[in-house]
Amino acid sequence: MDKLIQLFQDIGKLWEKYGDSYITGMRNTLILAVTATVIGCLIGFLCGILNTIPYSKNDPWLKRALLTLIRGIVRVYVEVFRGTPMVLQAVFIFYGLPYFTDNAVQFKGNEGIWLASMIVVSINTGAYMAESVRGGIISVDPGQTEGAKAIGMTHVQTMLHVILPQALRNILPQIGNNFIINLKDTSVMFIIGFTEFFATHKSVAGATFKYFPSAALEMVGYLAMTLIASFLLRWVEKKLDGSSSYDLANVDPLTMTAGTYNHPQKGGPFDDRDRKEDNK
Amino acid sequence: MSEMILQVNHLSKSFGKHEVLKDIDFTVNKGDVISVIGASGSGKSTLLRCINLLETPTSGEILYHGTNVADRKVKAHEYRSHVGMVFQSFNLFNNMTVLQNCMIGQVKVLRRSKAEAKEKALYFLEKVGMLPYINAKPRQISGGQKQRVAIARALAMDPEVLLFDEPTSALDPEMVGEVLTVMQNLAQEGMTMLVVTHEMAFARDVSNRVVFMANGVICEQGSPEDVFGNPQRQETKDFLTRFRNA
Repeated sequence: MDKLIQLFQDIGKLWEKYGDSYITGMRNTLILAVTATVIGCLIGFLCGILNTIPYSKNDPWLKRALLTLIRGIVRVYVEVFRGTPMVLQAVFIFYGLPYFTDNAVQFKGNEGIWLASMIVVSINTGAYMAESVRGGIISVDPGQTEGAKAIGMTHVQTMLHVILPQALRNILPQIGNNFIINLKDTSVMFIIGFTEFFATHKSVAGATFKYFPSAALEMVGYLAMTLIASFLLRWVEKKLDGSSSYDLANVDPLTMTAGTYNHPQKGGPFDDRDRKEDNK
Repeated sequence: MSEMILQVNHLSKSFGKHEVLKDIDFTVNKGDVISVIGASGSGKSTLLRCINLLETPTSGEILYHGTNVADRKVKAHEYRSHVGMVFQSFNLFNNMTVLQNCMIGQVKVLRRSKAEAKEKALYFLEKVGMLPYINAKPRQISGGQKQRVAIARALAMDPEVLLFDEPTSALDPEMVGEVLTVMQNLAQEGMTMLVVTHEMAFARDVSNRVVFMANGVICEQGSPEDVFGNPQRQETKDFLTRFRNA
């Protein structure tokens, strides 16, 4: 019990002195994770769509060759970035580009670090999302495509209006997964000097030698971020599903029931004019 | 003779080595209500899917007002907007309401205005008796209701001919009637229809021509009275006997 009280006191002291640093770290982590997840999803959707363009033996060879090439490139991209650690990719790109271009391209200063981190986390997320999106598209019932084709939709229209909205719903849990992984895994970006939440811990612990209290604080911080994220994602899923009930449309201004038809010249069935004619 | 809409010449379709359709010839004239009957696996559905180009024919031609649509140069999606199709499994768009299902094709393919599309959709939804359900999602309505919406969706595109691929086979018995009634009304209004069906009563009473298929060929065709009352081929007799006994 004494230890616990001491821990809270230590955390209190740390927060008093370094609270701003922790908050800045958290903010940077959030910005990086959100942006990279969004860009990663866009990359993933692009790759997933390119990967599922159908072609048959009857198509011209140029189209087939092009599609095969695109699929090959996407495949290599996915396998390379899924198959290597992100921490290494960060180093590879951050130091590799200046190395190969004789410092013509380099990530200068704070902006450079931000840019490099964004790029690395985004393409990493994209590699995972490419497969998720492909799976999401495949999992939509082929009958949906046939239904769309049968009313004359092109491939692009079918994708845009019928398949992708359903695929997006299917992969939303995957997107959430990736976002939460990104929240935590952006911590490896400290390797190129990015000051996110975990980097704050390193500097604070280095200055105060209070490793455990700082780590405890970080644990709570990360957990708070991920819990809020998963709560928000559940809420979005619910919103997308729409309400489970529907209203019966009994009255619709555009439609007419029998007997309410009005002729432009002769009027309706209950007009006086009609009755006069009946009386003749 | 009335105007010819579709003419199928020497149509063949193989899946790998399996030849499903062998040298099919037949025509669809304006106002025809044609029932295609036959045992499962005789190629009825494949024939229908070939006509709508959901399957690419292996050889032969499909003439739509004289143009061969099986030719690669013809844009399949343009042709399909003139030929409606109703599927066994409904294939309503799950991410849209009933009303949106009937509007999307009109707006995106026929480039109608939203107001015009809505008016048209409501007109046909009323016709199939689904007007109260325009706000429902497909998963919230029954099979028979889904199929009636699917018919309205196809009709809203103002197709010249409507293809039905076993429209009642996936339905519970008590829902078959509501769909058949809608189809019967359409036939009476002069809609050109090509119906693959196992509903012999419908084939006999509603259609003006019955096509009997067996093993990938058209075995016999003619008026319902001839095919049902006086079948010429042994295959037809066997098939009809089996149906009567079942």
